[in-house]
Parts: sequence; C-alpha cells; structure tokens
Amino acid sequence: MKPNEFDVIIIGGGITGAGTQRDCAMRGLRTLLVDRSDIATGATGRNHGLLHSGARYAVNDAESGAECIRENLILRKIASHCIDPSDGLFITLPEDDLGYQATFVEACRASGISAEIIDPDLARRLEPSVNPEIIGAVRVPDASVDPFRLCAANMLDAKLHGGQVRLHTEVTGLIQEENTIKGIHTRNRLSGEEKDYYAPVIVNASGVWGEQICRMAGTRLTMFPAKGALLIFAHRVNNMVINRCRKPSNADILVPGDTVCIIGTTSSRIPIEECLNVAVTPEEVNLLITEGAKLAPGLLSTRILRAYAGVRPLVSEENDPSGRNISRGIVCLDHETRDGIKGFVTITGGKLTTYRLMAEMATDAVCRKLGVDKACETAVKALPGSEEGSYEEVARKIWENPSTGQKAAASRMGSRVSRIRSEDRRDEALVCECEEVSVGEVNEAIDRMDVNSLTDLRRRTRVGMGTCQGEFCACRAAGLLAKAHGCVERERKDVASFLQERWKGNFPIGWGDTLREAEYTQWVYKNVLGL
Amino acid sequence: MKYQEYTVSPHNFEECTKCTVCTVYCPVLEVNPLYPGPKQAGPDGERLRLKDPAFFDAALKYCLNCKRCEVACPSGVKVADLIQSARLKYDHSPIKLRDRILASTDFMGKMVRPIAPVANLVTGMGVTKTALDAILAIDRHRSFPKYSGRSFEFWLNRQRKEQAAFPQQVAYFHGCYVNYNYPQLGKDLVKVLNALGVGVQLLDKEKCCGIALITNKMTKEATAHATHNVAVLEKAVEKGLKIVTTSSTCTLTLRDEYPELLGVDNSAVRDSVLLASRFIYEKLEQGAALPFRKDFHKKIAYHTPCHMEKLGWGVFSEKLLRMIPGVEFTLLDSACCGIAGTYGFKKENYKTSQAIGEPLFENIRTVNPDVVACDCETCKWQIEMSTGYPVQNPISILADALE
Amino acid sequence: MRFDTVIIGGGLTGLVAGIRLQKAGQNTAIVSSGQNALHFFSGSFESFGEPTRELADLFSEAGIHLHYKEGVRLMPMGTFRPSALSLEDISLFPKPQFGKKVLLVNIVGYHDFFSSFIAQGLEEAGMDVRIRFLNLTEMGIKAPGEMRSVQLARTLDRNWEKVVQEVRLLLKDDDTVILPQVFGLQDASIPGRIRQSLPAQVVFAGTLPPSVPGIRTLHLLKHRYGVLGGTYLMGDEVVQAHLYEGVVHSVVTKNLGQHYLEAGTFILATGSFFSKGLSSTPEKVYEPIFGADVSFLPDRNGWYNPSFAEKQPYIGFGVCTDGDLRVLKDGAPLSNLYAAGSILGATHPELGTGAGMCLRSALKAADSILSGPVPSHSDNSPCHSDNSPCHSEQSEESVESQA
Repeated sequence: MKPNEFDVIIIGGGITGAGTQRDCAMRGLRTLLVDRSDIATGATGRNHGLLHSGARYAVNDAESGAECIRENLILRKIASHCIDPSDGLFITLPEDDLGYQATFVEACRASGISAEIIDPDLARRLEPSVNPEIIGAVRVPDASVDPFRLCAANMLDAKLHGGQVRLHTEVTGLIQEENTIKGIHTRNRLSGEEKDYYAPVIVNASGVWGEQICRMAGTRLTMFPAKGALLIFAHRVNNMVINRCRKPSNADILVPGDTVCIIGTTSSRIPIEECLNVAVTPEEVNLLITEGAKLAPGLLSTRILRAYAGVRPLVSEENDPSGRNISRGIVCLDHETRDGIKGFVTITGGKLTTYRLMAEMATDAVCRKLGVDKACETAVKALPGSEEGSYEEVARKIWENPSTGQKAAASRMGSRVSRIRSEDRRDEALVCECEEVSVGEVNEAIDRMDVNSLTDLRRRTRVGMGTCQGEFCACRAAGLLAKAHGCVERERKDVASFLQERWKGNFPIGWGDTLREAEYTQWVYKNVLGL
Repeated sequence: MKYQEYTVSPHNFEECTKCTVCTVYCPVLEVNPLYPGPKQAGPDGERLRLKDPAFFDAALKYCLNCKRCEVACPSGVKVADLIQSARLKYDHSPIKLRDRILASTDFMGKMVRPIAPVANLVTGMGVTKTALDAILAIDRHRSFPKYSGRSFEFWLNRQRKEQAAFPQQVAYFHGCYVNYNYPQLGKDLVKVLNALGVGVQLLDKEKCCGIALITNKMTKEATAHATHNVAVLEKAVEKGLKIVTTSSTCTLTLRDEYPELLGVDNSAVRDSVLLASRFIYEKLEQGAALPFRKDFHKKIAYHTPCHMEKLGWGVFSEKLLRMIPGVEFTLLDSACCGIAGTYGFKKENYKTSQAIGEPLFENIRTVNPDVVACDCETCKWQIEMSTGYPVQNPISILADALE
Repeated sequence: MRFDTVIIGGGLTGLVAGIRLQKAGQNTAIVSSGQNALHFFSGSFESFGEPTRELADLFSEAGIHLHYKEGVRLMPMGTFRPSALSLEDISLFPKPQFGKKVLLVNIVGYHDFFSSFIAQGLEEAGMDVRIRFLNLTEMGIKAPGEMRSVQLARTLDRNWEKVVQEVRLLLKDDDTVILPQVFGLQDASIPGRIRQSLPAQVVFAGTLPPSVPGIRTLHLLKHRYGVLGGTYLMGDEVVQAHLYEGVVHSVVTKNLGQHYLEAGTFILATGSFFSKGLSSTPEKVYEPIFGADVSFLPDRNGWYNPSFAEKQPYIGFGVCTDGDLRVLKDGAPLSNLYAAGSILGATHPELGTGAGMCLRSALKAADSILSGPVPSHSDNSPCHSDNSPCHSEQSEESVESQA
C-alpha cells in the first residue's frame, strides 16, 4: 500500500468523524481523517455541551430518547474525563402545565430513562440557583460533556491505533470511476498544497456540509441547517442541568459546562451559504437572557462571557419551518443501496450524545463493504485519559498536595496528565490564568494534538476560554507555538486572528464588566504591546 | 424588563478584569513561592471552586489577610475576602492545638491574667520558648505579649461614676489586648476623651472580635463571637452611644469581616463603630480643643497598618498626630509589617513574616524616629521585636502630649 | 474634612492635577478607588508634543525624567510606533533600524517578554539579531515564585550587576543590547546604570503588564504629592455627591461614610470603563457619581466595530464638558466640577488621546481652577464629539436639544 492509500477515509473532524475514525482504527483499518478546518468547528463545538439523558426527546421521539440514555450510560464510563455527571432537573413553572409532568415521566420510563418526581423544596436545595417559583421538578440523569475534549480524545485514540489525521485540508472533489468512489482530491488551506488520497470506502461525516459532499458524488441529500444561538455566562450559576418540563422551545436548557454555564438555544432555519458565518443578533441575546432567567433568575445579573451560534446538521424529511419537529435520529446511508454509488457512506443527523452509536453504525457499514468481520469495542474501551478514576484521584497519584492548577490540568487531561509531570517547575508556570493552563499542558497539546493555531490550542486546552478571553494568554501561548513550530511571523498574525475570534463572541454582549474587559484588552494589545 | 443592569457575584469576583494589579501588592507572593498569589487564590480560583470545591488549594493558608490586594484592586473585587471565605468553607483539615491556643485570645487572657507575673516569666523564659517552638510550633523568636495583673475592665469599672458625669458618653470596645495585656492604652484613651468632655463606658461584656478565630478557620466560634458582639453593640447604639475602638483590626472585623466572611448582619451598628482617632478628629473639627503641653517634642514616623489601609482611616490618625505641637511627622511608605496577627507567631511562617516586614523595617531605620506610631497591637510587637524602635498607638502619643 | 480641591481618581491625571494644585498652594485630596492605568503604561505620552518647562519641572521634581524626541519606539510585539514625549527608559529612534547587530536577552521561564516577535520585527527592519537566555538559577539568583514583570524586577533590582556581568559575557561585536523592562521598580537609577555599564547601546523593551516603569512613575508621583502635603485616600471610592443649584458641595466615600469630603472645587478623573469612570448596561452608558451628561450612541449596535483591530466607537464615549472642562449635567455646566483624563473619551479631540490627553486635560483643569471660577455664560458647545450625540441619563429632553 502506498502512503496515500487507506482502507477508509473519513471526511469531517467533528465528533461523528472522530468517533468513526476511532472505531474503524480499533477494528484494524488503516484510516485517514480530513477536515477543512480544525476539529469540532461545526455543530460539535457549537452547542450546549449537554450529554442528554434522552428525557428531552422521550415524549416526541421515544427512539431517540432510548438511544440517548443507552449512550449516556456508556459515555460516562468510556469518556469519564470529558463528562461532568451533574444530573438534570426538568422544572415546571407556574405558567407551565403541571399536567405535562406525568406524560413526561411516563415517556421517560418507557424509554428506560430514570425520571424521579421530586419535591420543589428538594429541587431548590439540590440546585439553589433554580427559579424559586417552581411548582414541580423531575430529576433525570442529564450530564455535561466537553465536546472539544471528547472529539480530541477520539482522534487521539484513532492515532494511537495507527490512524492519520489531516486538518485544514479541504476536499475539493471526489475521485470517481463510473459508479465507484475511489478517493478524494484535497487542498491544504494553510499551505495550499494539493494532494489525492485513495481508499475503497469514503465516509461522509461532514455534518451540515454533507449536502455538498453528496453533490460531489452525484447524489442528493437535503440538509436542514437550523441555527441555534447560545450565551456563555462567566462562571457556573448552576451545577445541575436545568430544563423546562414542557414541549421543547427557545432558551429552555441551562447547562453547567466546565467553569461556565450555557443557556440556549434558539432555532431558525438559515440558508446553507450562511453556515460558515452565523452571527448572534441582539434580539436573540435578549430572548436568551429573559427566557433563561426563568430557569435561573441569577442570569439577569451574571456577567456574560460570549454569544455564539451553531448550525444543527438536521436532515430534511418534511416541510417544517422551525426544524423542531425534525427527527434528531441518526441517518446512516449506504449510497450503494440508496443511489448505486459504491464505496460511499454518509453518516449524519443524530446528536453529540449518540455520536458513538453513529460511529458504530458507520463503521459497521464500512466493514460490511470491506468484508471485515470484527466487533465494535468502543462501548467498552475507555478513551485515552478516561482509564483511571476522578481527576482528584489522578492528581493525587502524581502530586502530594496538588494545586488548583494541577487539579485543573487533571480535570482536562484525565490520566494523560501524567505526561506533563515535570521536575522542572518552569513547566508549571501558567499560560492561561483564568482556566489555569500551564506551559506543560500547552506543550503537550502542541506536541500530540495537531495544533496549528491559537484557536486550535484553545479547543484542546481551554486556553483563552476564561474570563479574560485571551488578554494575557494569547501572547504567551503564541510564544510557545512560535518556538515549537519555528514560525514567528505566522504566530504574530495568529495572535491578531485569535483576538478577533474572541471579540466576535464578546461584542454582541458588550456591556458592564465584559466591556471593561474588552477596553482593557484593547489597551494592552494596541497601546502597550503594539499589535 | 430590565436585565443586566449590574452583576452580582460572591465578593464581586466576577468584576475582576484579570489586570494583575493585585499581584503587585501582595506581600506574601514576594517571599513565599508556595503561595499561589491573590489573583489565582482569589477570583481565578473561585471560578474553579464554584465548579467543584475539590479545586480548593490548601496553600491558601499562606494568605495573610492583609487586604492589600483589595485596596489595590481597581475593580472593587474583595480578593482577600474571597480567599478567607474559601478557607472557611472548604478547608476541612483539622485545626491544630497551637492554632486554637493562638486564636483564643480572650480565653487565654482570662486564664492567665490572675497569674500574670508567673505567666509572663514562664512564657518569656528561654526554656519555655524552646518548648513552645518544639511542641506547639510557635516560633522561638516571638515573645508572647505580657499579661497585665489587673484587667482594663476592672480599672474602668472602678471609676464608673466619674465617667458617667461627663456630658457626652461613648462606649469603648477595648479588645483583648487592652484588657489583658496593655490597659495603659485604654487609660490613655480615657484621658484624651475626658479632656474633650467625653465619658467612657464599657460595653455589656464584649467578647474578642474573633479575627484570630477567622484566620484560623474556627468558623463556628468566630460566628458565635460575632453574633454576641453585634447584640452587645446594638444595645449601646440603642442608647444613642457611639462605639470607639483603639485597634484598627478589631474595627475592621466588627465592621466588615462580620458580614463579609461570617454572614453576620451588623448593619444596625456598623456606622457607629469608630476608631478613636476618627472620633477625636471629628470632635476637634467641630470646634473642640485639646490642652497640649508646650514642651512636647517628638519625631514620629507613622506606619499605616494593613487593616487601617483597608478601612481608609489612616488619614485621621495622621492628621491628629500632625496637629500636636512639637511633632516632627513622617508618613512611612505603606507596607505590611509581616506579622498579620497570629500568622507570624507560627513557626512555619516566621521567615516569611520577617522577609515581608523587611522593607518597612529598613524604612523605619532610615527615618530613625523617636517613636513609631501605629494603631495596631500586632504591628507593634513585630516592629518592636524587629527594629528595637518603640511603638505607640497615636492615642497614647496624644495622651502624652496633653497637659 | 474640607479641602480646596478634591480630586476623584488617583491615576496619572489625578496626580498631575493634584501636584500642580499643591504647588500652587492649594490643599487637596485625591480619592483613588484602587490602583490605576499607570500599571499598564507604555512609557510614552502619546499625542503630547514638546513639554512646557512647567511640565518638565513637575515631573523632574518628582524624580521622573522625561525626554522628548520625535521618532519611533520599539513595541513588545516587535513593531514600531511613532512616539515623542517619553519616560527616560524608552529609547526613541529616528528610524526603525537603530542598530546593526543586536543581542536580545530574555530570561529562562519568563513568558511575558516576546523575544521571538521582537527579533522578527528587528530583522524586518534590517538588523541581525541573536536571542540569548539568562538562567537565573545558574547565575546564583533565586527566581521569584511567579514570573511576572514586577516580581522579576524586585529580584533583578537586587541583582542587576550580575545581569550586567552575564550580558557582558554574551556580548560579541553587537552594537545593541535589548533587555526586558524589568529593571528599576523601586530605584529609578538602575536602568541608567545598566546603560552606563555596558559597552553597547541598551534598549529596554516592554513586557506584558504590569508595567515596571509605569508603576515606578506612579509611586514617584504619589510620593511627590505626599511631600507637597496632598492627602491621598487609597482604596476609597466616591459613591455619592451632594449638589445644590449646579454646585457640588461635598462627596461621600465608601470608607468615610458620613464624614463627607467638602471642597471648593472638584475634579472628576475617574477614567473610562476599565476604572469605572463610565458604566454601561445593555441600554446606556452613564457616569455613576454625578449623573453627568455622557456622549454615546443610543443604538448599542453602533458601540462596536466587529473588527478587533479597528477603532472601537465605545472607547470614544465620554462625559460632556464646556470649553473649560466643566462637567455638564442636564445640559448645563456644574460650576465647580471639572473633568479630566480618559473619562473625556474623544469628546475633546484637541486634547489628543491616551496618556497625552491625560496630561493635557489635567493641566487644563488645574489651570481653570487656579484662574478662579469664571461664571459661565456657556457658549454651551457641549460635545466636541464628531458623531456621538449627547445623552444624559437623567433628562433625555435637555440632551436632545443640545444634540
């Protein structure tokens, strides 16, 4: 086999692609994954970070609900360092119909989701931030998941199983002979280099872009790009997921994720051309805050860090202007049986919580085509980092009295944190002070996790995700990247684009302390540093 | 609907813009590499602790609670309060016997006072100091403050009638130090206030303000003291009395630490608790006069204690001292002396404590005053031990300067 | 407490105005809510031309030496910026190529000095650059616990001679040595002594904040203000003002509470958003102490430029004043309240921007005060802003009429 030949090529570095690559690699296939950008830049990295219990779907889509709870329980085991098992509440407010609660609980139980009606008083004690006016509460096994970490861990494991990854590599066309797809034409968007790769099976896991890839293959897939806007608050207000116990609507989920919490979302269909540049409007911000405050009134007076929007890669099945009624179910298409195109599989739909199942379905399809008969092990084998207990145990194994920063590193890297154990105290110096990311952790990410830019680094380490939004860490991290890559000029520009990327999420909510912070960042970079 | 008009977060931590100014003024960060510094320990750490209390870092115990980070913060973040309340909330390590002893200032006072000469002799003896050092980890360089044979309360009680005769009355929160160790300061205050036509009353059984209990994370005991004291102060305020104090730390504790760290509501009394220097300054500003000696001459260097810096009332002591005829006044550069109450007494902190104080000691040696003035008793011990210069409370200096 | 002038805000503007007024014989106080933007000072007073004798004296009497030369200075990202009036530390060059062979010295473990970016910039300007690292441990210097500019400066101020020695060993035929600005925090003479001790041109290049030369400048100005008899209330905050018929009578501070600060005139030098001189909500920008008129765009969409690199309209927002810098409230000037510094935003383009504007407006406000209150028959040209209509929080109507 030549170096540009593989058993399977996966298009898309989101969670579905990364999961599929891991599964394929673990079944012994030679894999290549390409993405036009970095990992988790599409829907994977632009959602709540909610590990659904399935409760939200139980009433309308029992099948999705059941899938969610099964996968939820699996991921808690295999991806423990990416998951905060916070549990969730479905609350009923005075304006809601308390009668819905019974329907809801019954549907949950039918899907195998534990749903326990609890006294509103107990709910207020469990989650002190919750709207005190609640008249009903149900406890469900929701959790939060860090999608970047999960995606990176899958990709890392694929690489440990021999997989190759080419990021910032765009598919410019498919290599097709008659009815068979044989490979892909690519262009590296950083270097401009053009290259072809060959494999008997190509997996289209490109999310909302799946429509374009299918068009290249000469077939049709209609996506329903639904924009969802979200707000990140600067610290955790709640430690349990809070949902409204009613039919899904706007801004009715508040998820605690790592050091922050996230309210979302809205839902509106947008043209596919706008998917790359979705902006949050003042009306959406307004709606998210006012609706969000019904879940946790503290949001009215909590500093907001960012506004952002993602696009759900839903597959269009019926005429539904809101997109809310579209099935969030998994769509796995073998184009040979569907369209007569050989060597081509599309995996789409679904959701973050069910990515592993989607990957398994896609990999099963790939294996069938290749005649490989090997069982899927992704449900039982832990991801790198999730092999050993809690982050506190992990940290205590390494350090006698772990500092907050060391524990923070362990909470992000899981057992892999032992890699940055260093006798040199200089490696403990902090690059990002808000999230407490050390020089050692940044260097480890640069060394092993395909980091090309500060934005890539942020997704893998949380550098720049904290309160100051890159004020101090951008330059420090750029210095380390410049040293590792020997590309000073590129890094100087990278600082500017990183700050631009941060500002994009700040200005829609630019008032109060966020505006003070923004002004300070302007001074530091323009007047003091001379960017 | 109005939203996002302002933000609310514990001790304003979310107003932090990560500007790093606090790190410039932390005296511990300078000398103790084990301390994560006010920014990491305070607002940065708080975000992680809100996620999970397990992120608490035991090294927060190195914080002096000097509050210099708070004074410096341009954003109004109560950095030291964040650190101290994290310790109160999350540090579940057992409290050492030594810390209990150091923290129980009024209990010690009560027990030891009747046998003061013996106690002073014993705690001053080389052998005992070595034993304290070895057994309790109280540094051997430290001298325990001497205990007085008769308490201040005993002294003032005996002249209740004379004091009641003055046209204006105040209540005096004297604190443990004046009561058990140095009643003379209380007597000096009475002399000055009497000269202004003000009589001094005791409160109805005050307890130790509890600052040492707070910094030694004895939350339950501290809260009990706070609740008791607020009740006692309320009684005095209801009678229309102002409450004067002579210790900047007791004052800060009564006014700010009770609500911020212990959650004890003191709103009914807070504005009535005044440091004596402020009370006296205000009397003089309103036209009262003090009969100063004509032959008084002293070169005075004023040290602003950290908690005075936080109260923002150093200006009253300074202006009072400058008013005294015959005083040559120097304001020392604002710096921590390093003792921070019981902190410097602990063996593990001795070196840090002395290193922190060094710039101040150097400053004092350069000025070479007759006396160092300061409103804090623990600064007094530290400066006297470390420089040999005598230290007096401004009230005592004022009393000396009166006819 | 009564003063001739009370200055609200203790940064560059407040201190320069305060020193100017004290020198003219006034008795003033400065209320400073925390530390200030001098901690992030680049060292150049951008947009200020040649200094007057008076200004140069004001600084040199404080021990701060300025120099004036039109040229460029090296920025920490390796870029160059046109500059003129600067602190002595800052090297000003006629053109970016200021040397041929450059030795660029950084310190192992210090991530806040971007030697590779600087080297890139110098190479682009046509210089040969070698980067070398000093290893403090190997030099027998105990590295500080936290490698920030200020901690490093405290260490290196004690060890600058060792640094000179080490750099001498590294020097070959280089004509220029570049060092990070981490020298001379307390002792202003150190940068000069380093320059004299090395046989090459020495350039100090900036670091991430805190700014060592900025903090030194602050302390020198503050010290000078104290020597002149000014009262600096550190860590206090004005929370309320008492106005009557267009005149400010007194202000209330957080620490002094019912003890008001009274004065004949007041200066509002509270800075912009960062220092909370201006506050913002989703709907408006306002001045929190006096409710002064603020020029800002009513539609929040207009506050920002989506491009980080472009000029941000919100930074131009500021309080409205008359031509003498008297603050407008509801369209009319308050007769004894002057605004100076960043709180003016871009409302007075003729005053320049940044530190230059702070100096100019501080002097102008002080001069207006010293030239005595002239009753204003208001030319009422309130806003000099190019595009922002004035908006007053209190009275939308009176403001509309001005706009």
